[in-house]
Amino acid sequence: MAFFDWKVIVENLPFLMRGLLTTFQLAVIAIGGGFILGVLVGMGRLSGRKYVYYPATVFVNFLRSIPLILVIFWFYFLVPILAGRPLGDFVSASIAFIIFEASYFAEIIRAGIQSIPKGQMQAAYSTGLNYRKTMGYVIIPQALKNMVPSLLTQSVIIFQDTSLAYVIGLKEFLRSATIVDAREVRSLELYTFVGIVYFLICYTMSLLTKRWEAKKGSAK
Amino acid sequence: MIEIVNLSKWFGKFRVLDNINEVIRRSQVVVVCGPSGSGKSTLCKCLNGLEEFQEGDVIIDGISLKSPTTDLIKLRQRIGMVFQRFELYPHMSALENITLAPMKVKKLARGEAEKKSMALLERVGIPEQAKKYPGNLSGGQQQRVAIARALAMEPEIMLFDEPTSALDPEMIKEVLDVMIDLAKSGMTMIVVTHEMGFAKEVADEIIFMDQGRIIERATDKNFFANPQTERAKEFLNKILI
Repeated sequence: MAFFDWKVIVENLPFLMRGLLTTFQLAVIAIGGGFILGVLVGMGRLSGRKYVYYPATVFVNFLRSIPLILVIFWFYFLVPILAGRPLGDFVSASIAFIIFEASYFAEIIRAGIQSIPKGQMQAAYSTGLNYRKTMGYVIIPQALKNMVPSLLTQSVIIFQDTSLAYVIGLKEFLRSATIVDAREVRSLELYTFVGIVYFLICYTMSLLTKRWEAKKGSAK
Repeated sequence: MIEIVNLSKWFGKFRVLDNINEVIRRSQVVVVCGPSGSGKSTLCKCLNGLEEFQEGDVIIDGISLKSPTTDLIKLRQRIGMVFQRFELYPHMSALENITLAPMKVKKLARGEAEKKSMALLERVGIPEQAKKYPGNLSGGQQQRVAIARALAMEPEIMLFDEPTSALDPEMIKEVLDVMIDLAKSGMTMIVVTHEMGFAKEVADEIIFMDQGRIIERATDKNFFANPQTERAKEFLNKILI
């Protein structure tokens, strides 16, 4: 047995790439769904109505205080009961990620909206705009600009976190590697390869985030 | 047209407005002055419902701000406001700042809204700045855009909350000139300011506030030369130096 035999990667590349595709799909769903739910929860956290504020606050504080892996397990068992039938590991993982990540997005969005001076809201109100139009045209466009670095950083973290779905048997990238490893027993090569791929994707995204921040900084 | 009746407001236990009574008629210009913390800005923001109050009422053309059935959003379309720190939307050009409310509230078509907005920029003397963003305008230019933005909804009343106090001295005049023009055109105006030149030229009434109360009012132009209360004398001595 050679010390580093990359043949195992080449031979199993289509299978591994299918896993990587699942990872991407899960990440896109988690980021997209988590962001949309996060906007709603984040605005709920800023609401003056107690029946909106308290549920949103409990949601955020509870989910941010428990490990993601627990949430993944939990929904794996909960979703079939709620749905009345098994929906598969991908669906339950997607739901777990959307809900969990929404709690992190919500805090980014809350902070972003709060970073806009109160006078902007008053100015928009004073011209006769209602709450929805004030948020939509005046506050959120400015807040989003401030939020972009945090949102991108969180997205990179989500991309890495999707590997935790391997515990419920979802054949994402890492799980695919463990399956190949069980057959071929080439742990070092496989996990090194997986590590390099994760690194390349996430580091590239981080660099893009930094470039955005630099561009924003110089524009001011 | 504006009646302020026994208006009182508290921030927690602190009483910022203490039983304010005032009537402002159409086309009147009322200047509100007084030391900082006297409640001038808060009073101004109570008039269009940006600040809530606990007692009394503000009645605008028979519409009570206290009444739960009053549509504040609709009422605010009739009341323009100019802020101390301009509060232009930084992500929009000067023109877009002005066209936003006419397009989104009055549902004007873009072409028509832009035509009207350009006319307003002409009126405040800076049509050539239409495409610029607030960050690239001087303070005086920003405040003139802010006045144009408030006028774009064709309000019947204009509120000015210390419109020149964040400006460099050489820019104050260009903003005051626009305001004087507006006053002479018959606009009903409530202006929180210490600009005595402005008050002397256009004010129909000057109100002096201290600790949440109106302690002196004058309809003649002699207020600045001959204040009646000790507090007003003291205050004027400080700002005249």
